[in-house]
Amino acid sequence: MKLFLRLSALFLSVWACAPEPSITKEMLDSGTLFDPSLYNPANYLVSKALPTPTPEQAKKPVIIACHGYSATTFEWDEFRSWSAGRTDFLLSQVLLGGHGRSYNDFKASSWHDWQEAIMTEYSQLEKAGYQNISLLTSSTSGALVLELIASGYFVNHIKPRHVLLVDPIVIPSDKSLSLIGLFGPMLGYIETKQSIEEDKVYYHFRPQETLQQLQNLLTTVRKDLEKGITLPIGCDLKVYKSKKDPAADPVSAVLIYQGTQTADGKPVSVELINSDLHVYTRLKHRESITAQDQLNQTSTFSDIRQRVTH
Amino acid sequence: MKIFTGCTYVLAVLLSSSVYGQQQPDSPTLDIGVRLQKSISLYAENGLMVQYAHPKLASNRLYLGLAYVSSRLGSAFHSNAIKQDSYLFSASYYYRPKWLIHPVLKANIGYFAAHYGSPIFEELPKTSLLLAPEVGLCYCPTIPLKIHTSIGYHLINGNGRSGPGTLYPVFLQTSITWNVLKRLKK
Repeated sequence: MKLFLRLSALFLSVWACAPEPSITKEMLDSGTLFDPSLYNPANYLVSKALPTPTPEQAKKPVIIACHGYSATTFEWDEFRSWSAGRTDFLLSQVLLGGHGRSYNDFKASSWHDWQEAIMTEYSQLEKAGYQNISLLTSSTSGALVLELIASGYFVNHIKPRHVLLVDPIVIPSDKSLSLIGLFGPMLGYIETKQSIEEDKVYYHFRPQETLQQLQNLLTTVRKDLEKGITLPIGCDLKVYKSKKDPAADPVSAVLIYQGTQTADGKPVSVELINSDLHVYTRLKHRESITAQDQLNQTSTFSDIRQRVTH
Repeated sequence: MKIFTGCTYVLAVLLSSSVYGQQQPDSPTLDIGVRLQKSISLYAENGLMVQYAHPKLASNRLYLGLAYVSSRLGSAFHSNAIKQDSYLFSASYYYRPKWLIHPVLKANIGYFAAHYGSPIFEELPKTSLLLAPEVGLCYCPTIPLKIHTSIGYHLINGNGRSGPGTLYPVFLQTSITWNVLKRLKK
């Protein structure tokens, strides 16, 4: 409501002159800091680290972890740290298109570009011979993967074994996003309140063009869910959703539950998490974290591992 | 500027013509019809409405009404969209009664209930008080027909921490009603 009033005030005051953001060199937006996966892809992508797997490696479960809107591979770094020393699965951290680079790169990207990076890693792993691939997503990448399934991408590809969605967004918590098509061109961008450390791994400024892309993606996925999405054969899906979430409304889990079924007609799994964080599996650089937050994180990481390796 | 002033004058003359508009009758009005509603970027929700005005109540310009709209009759009809129902009590005030098109201000108060279909979601908010002002125009020709279109704003909506998530702020509505107490002249 507050944001809506602010948007309305800006609508009147800056009718036709969208301002430019004040980007500093300490921000990811500046184009001086980049996601580390761009420098060292082999440290993040299994397709680059192990392009010719042995038959034994090719059978090992591979998790493709995808981050959310305006984020970077950082969002799954804690899962990588937690997985360190475990040899029963491989982790591939994908950087979505337009992300982790600069404000202008982000501004010029569409949701199809964001999604392209997921398809590229998936097909590279498939070509390399990996046979047991699962998708792990946070926030917007959940919508991107649901759209991939709905659009039939996996019909002509190896089927993913598990789709695991952490705080997926279909319905935004901030409902003013629904009006971005009207107010966005006048605003130019929206500034995010986040710490200096978060500024290095999340874009500080959100170009209105990308917010319109996000809204378009969410509308597409919502309509796909209304028609019904059937998972590929042999694939299951689980939603992990914070009960209170300032970015992805928890009702998103309801829409996914009602709109998705397995290939044999069974409902998908949903676990509501006792948390008020968005992407509760990322705790680093949070202002404050509780023992419950840490418990939520480790129990979800354990559940993901257990599902993928059994 | 002159063109704008000229257009405004012509429009005002047209709208104020009592030849085309419904005169406010000396008898009560009971409008019955349908309400078609669409939240911006979310569901279509349709239903029924009834409203009543009386000559002794602000000279037939204040309408008190009841409405029921549901996604069951809109986006959720034969789809997986969430089934949600809104029950509304409204007070509308019709300005410029001699004009063909009446500016209308409307205040709605009501109750919203969404149905999530599984006990998994028992803890999520699914009901809410509705408070929604509307502003719009009503086309009221001499026959007992009214076509009223307006834009409304839900003062209470879901924000991820409280309130049902599918209660969106801005909506457009069109209602088409018939005054069942007025007889057409032969």
